[in-house]
Amino acid sequence: MSVVEQAAVLPAARPRPRPTARSVALRSLGVVFVLALLVFMVGPILWLALRAFSNVWPYPRFLPSDWTMKWWHSVFADKSLGHSIKLSFEFAPVVTVASAVICLPAAYAFSRFNFPGRRFLLVSLFATNAFPKIGLYISMAGVFYTFNLMGTFLGVVIVQLIGTVVFMTWIPTAAFSSIPRSLEEAARDAGAGPLRVFFRITFPLAAPGIFVAMILSFLASFDEAQGTFLVGIPNYITMPTEMYTLVLNYPEQAAAVFSILLAIPSVILMSLARKHVMGGRLAEGFQIR
Amino acid sequence: MVLPPVAVVAVFIGFPVGAAIAYTLGKTGGPNSTIALIAQRQHVAKHGVTFAAYREVLGNAHVRGDLWATVWVTLLTIAAVVVLSWAIGLYVRLSDTWIARTVSALSVIPLFIPVVIASYAILTFYAAQGFIKTLAYHVGWHSFPTLGYTMWAVVIGEVWVNVPFGVLMMSSGLNSVPNALIEAARDSGASLPQTIRAVLLPMNVIPTVIVATFTGIYVLGSFTVPYLTGPSAPNLMGVSMSQFFQSFNQPQQAEVMAMIVFVLAAGLGTIYVWANMRAAKRASQTS
Repeated sequence: MSVVEQAAVLPAARPRPRPTARSVALRSLGVVFVLALLVFMVGPILWLALRAFSNVWPYPRFLPSDWTMKWWHSVFADKSLGHSIKLSFEFAPVVTVASAVICLPAAYAFSRFNFPGRRFLLVSLFATNAFPKIGLYISMAGVFYTFNLMGTFLGVVIVQLIGTVVFMTWIPTAAFSSIPRSLEEAARDAGAGPLRVFFRITFPLAAPGIFVAMILSFLASFDEAQGTFLVGIPNYITMPTEMYTLVLNYPEQAAAVFSILLAIPSVILMSLARKHVMGGRLAEGFQIR
Repeated sequence: MVLPPVAVVAVFIGFPVGAAIAYTLGKTGGPNSTIALIAQRQHVAKHGVTFAAYREVLGNAHVRGDLWATVWVTLLTIAAVVVLSWAIGLYVRLSDTWIARTVSALSVIPLFIPVVIASYAILTFYAAQGFIKTLAYHVGWHSFPTLGYTMWAVVIGEVWVNVPFGVLMMSSGLNSVPNALIEAARDSGASLPQTIRAVLLPMNVIPTVIVATFTGIYVLGSFTVPYLTGPSAPNLMGVSMSQFFQSFNQPQQAEVMAMIVFVLAAGLGTIYVWANMRAAKRASQTS
């Protein structure tokens, strides 16, 4: 599973040297590095996943001494948890579509037209990322009281939308920019109208970038906890915000079960987008051009 | 066509931030009137502006503790993420073994896991009965410290969350260095460290700056990681400002803290924009 798809391999110009003490040491250092990274990256997730099936887990044992499925039953039986799952699946699509409608035309314009202030506007969208999130949400919440947006559906949508604007603009902008203009011009010369050119040439070629932006936006909304916590409470408690309560008030195992449920959509959607995200589209989008 | 997102940013970021600045300076009218009705311990400016709210917040020893914690956690996280991303990026760029491929696959795992879950998982992993303590116990290190609910757990969590972005940026930057350049340096007798210093490092300043600034801004604005894994006090500013807003009902003080964090982030943001502009200028000069 090569993650960095374009990783060009160094050509074997020199014959491979015989293994020396130094190269063996380097290689074993590499193996130690991988093991440490494995524990650091995967360890916490596995440890939590095991907890979802544990009945008795005395310290210091590496595995539970008694296994059970009862936590799964109790989570599924809990009405308020089910409600938060449903809410999460309502917010994320609404936010993603709203974000696409607002940002995609702009992405096209940013990539195709060179208008005065273009760079300034592109950088000013960066403002959404340049403000530390929680500080921004606090400022927004202060004004939301005046406009009666606290604790409303629209208020939560706005808070989550803010977190998607950068993805939705920058990544598609890079995708549109990577399409050679000559392709579009050739289609125009062959007699296609501007709309036809857009839907037959430009859009299909930019689609992977747009798709990645939509997945990232969906997940940004689905996983957004801190802003929703601040603005949505007490009426709109989505899955991630429910986690705050779960961690504090429920047995550890129930929180572990809920964690697994909440991670499923992320794992599936990110796996779909994996190829493109790793292929450098994300990195592309972060360099202002 | 460009207007809608710019308008969204202006209305929902520019305007609230502007209103928040006015509110922290004692202006309780206009968009701040509703919150001013319910807030406690407000500093109101009768004429002009007042810095009383800033004086109160910065005079609070607890807040100062939070501020220092925020600064050192941010700097430490930036350093750790930059070093890790470079190490992993270089490894993957220069080596094509299964080990390198495993490393790059491992480093992006956090992309797949929501932050709330990651924070909770990291808390239990480093907790008093977590894996690390269990492991230390079995190798005979019984006095190994519990990291859960300390600032160390916060740093670990922030690094964990930010590693994929760093690795993706650095890999993409390192891959854009042509093999011919590396080969040429090696053929003219440069050792691997020399090649890294003279070829790969200067060509990857921008990605490094991007990784450092975005990581820093992320940590400054984080709430979930420190809230779930950190101690009750002192903790990061993100946690204490939500407490001031929600639990203590002192939104003006919370917004003052938001402003302080904005100033810290603005410093980082300036470096990012400057580095990008410089690179763009250079590119236009050479082409």
